[in-house]
Amino acid sequence: MFVTETHEQVRDMARQFADEVIRPVAIDLDRDERFPGEIFEQMGDLGLFGIGVPEALGGPGFDTLAYALVMEELSRGYASVADQCGLVELISTLLVRHGTPEQQAQWLKPVMSARTKVAYCLTEAEAGSDLSGLRTTADRDGAGWKLNGGKIWIHNAPVADIGFVLARTDRNAGHRGMSIFIVDLNAKGVERGPKEHKMGQRASQVGALNFSDVTLPPEALLGEEGRGFHMMMSVLDKGRVGIGSLAVGIGQAGLEAALDYAQQRKQFNARIADFQGVQWLLADMAKDIEAARLLVQSAAVKIDRGENATKACSMAKCFAGDMAVARTADAVQIFGGSGYIRGFEVERLYRDAKITQIYEGTNQIQRMIIARELVKHGARG
Amino acid sequence: MKILVPVKRVVDFNVKIRVKPDGSGVDLQNVKMSMNPFDEIAVEEALRLKEAGKAEEVVVVSIGPAKAEETLRTALAMGADRAILVETDDAVEPLAVAKILKAVGEAEQPGLILLGKQAIDDDCNQTGQMLAALLGWGQGTFASKVELASDAVTVTREVDGGLQTVSLRLPAVVTTDLRLNEPRYASLPNIMRAKKKPLDRRTPADFGVATAARLRILRTEEPARRMAGVKVGSVAELVDRLRTEAGVL
Repeated sequence: MFVTETHEQVRDMARQFADEVIRPVAIDLDRDERFPGEIFEQMGDLGLFGIGVPEALGGPGFDTLAYALVMEELSRGYASVADQCGLVELISTLLVRHGTPEQQAQWLKPVMSARTKVAYCLTEAEAGSDLSGLRTTADRDGAGWKLNGGKIWIHNAPVADIGFVLARTDRNAGHRGMSIFIVDLNAKGVERGPKEHKMGQRASQVGALNFSDVTLPPEALLGEEGRGFHMMMSVLDKGRVGIGSLAVGIGQAGLEAALDYAQQRKQFNARIADFQGVQWLLADMAKDIEAARLLVQSAAVKIDRGENATKACSMAKCFAGDMAVARTADAVQIFGGSGYIRGFEVERLYRDAKITQIYEGTNQIQRMIIARELVKHGARG
Repeated sequence: MKILVPVKRVVDFNVKIRVKPDGSGVDLQNVKMSMNPFDEIAVEEALRLKEAGKAEEVVVVSIGPAKAEETLRTALAMGADRAILVETDDAVEPLAVAKILKAVGEAEQPGLILLGKQAIDDDCNQTGQMLAALLGWGQGTFASKVELASDAVTVTREVDGGLQTVSLRLPAVVTTDLRLNEPRYASLPNIMRAKKKPLDRRTPADFGVATAARLRILRTEEPARRMAGVKVGSVAELVDRLRTEAGVL
């Protein structure tokens, strides 16, 4: 509905790449929990990282809608690969909006090429949905800072070269006392925790990072001191479009697999696709996937038009995440016992879907945001 | 040297083809269309020759409806420099296509015309050969390897029973086979750049070519359905039935 010919070209390219390069290896990557660096480098060469980075800064300069289309297609291949694309999109958006020309020159190109691996370091043991519990600190130290504290469940922590770390620079200023620092994760004082073994999206490397007296030079500060919380929050709208798209991609892969299977599998001398019980599952999958896709795309278009997109992005992410979990469960159901066996795609999709209700703001937080926006702007706002 | 690459917009190779109920042709309503895969191989080869410093410019041309611009943009996104759209809503037959391409060739003066050996919609496998004949140029068809020098091109051809290598004086027409190369993905920055690359719009009348049909399609029908297989009980029965029923032994 919102998609132009150029968007179609981008989508087709991402779809072909996912079909040829990502989807055939997804089951192996899941089983081995392996970081697919070679796929990421190929994606970097094709401009699939940093999709919104303007041409003037060396990026492809596409809008949020194009980003949403790419995320869905990559995720249809494998959600962990799409999630890397989402991560780089957030980091590069931060750099584009808040970085100095020097920081942009230093980091954008290596990050978009996937040769420099990044981490977005927000979550702590006491700071999840509620970031007011943030304990990591950066204290003035000469012209620079000293970083202390610990982060958990950080995507790419086991492999990342640099981290974008949210830390308190003023202990008494609440949300206005947080700043973002670009931290060399190979520096003295940085310690990486072990890799976590997760339920799904198992090729995504997740772990803890600990900082003890890490020396940060003055140029490590991203944007304005004390504005870190707001900067991190400002990219979350786009992040939610990304995760919503990722959830749609998981759902779409589930529908394709289930439809294919239902047309091949025979019971009682008929294809199971000929039984109404199975047909209704397939129909519900298709309609909910399409509804989620349109919610996500409409939220993306709101961002691109510069409208207030907060409620739209939360609705899209929340609906798409819930949809992905419910409808991949249907896909497993259609596969019957086979769907419960490792090595069948739908078994992986069901596990991969669950986190989409949790990360990028839990779906309970999304509902809080939706309700808050309703109260603030009214039922049509 | 300039390389001219004609490309055709066809039904995407992944699409399940439906024949129109009246048998007059293939149903193209709401069907995904893409660049003919053999033409994509021709674009890729031209780009590789340019990247190897053997050519300076790659020009793509398509003859078809306004929507064929998408196909040309795809070629531009792969890396072609500029495009020519010869717009017509008529179904253009190979001879008319060859005549238009001859006129484009005379205007553009390329050193080499590279195109797919056939299009996957009608599988005619005629355009390249007719074009070479009309221009009076040498032709190397079904190429699986192309080596370009300043005044000649060496083409390895996939023929029945093996490979044949021919050397052609330039300018020449070369048609591409499946194993010549693997086309690249269009990168996102290149898709963006392609929007701004020049695209020249023309009509068959500009080249004085009439596109009226010279062939009459009598009927289009689906291939006969494959019969179900037969399970045999033993090797002896298999051999027996191959001999008596199938008559292949």
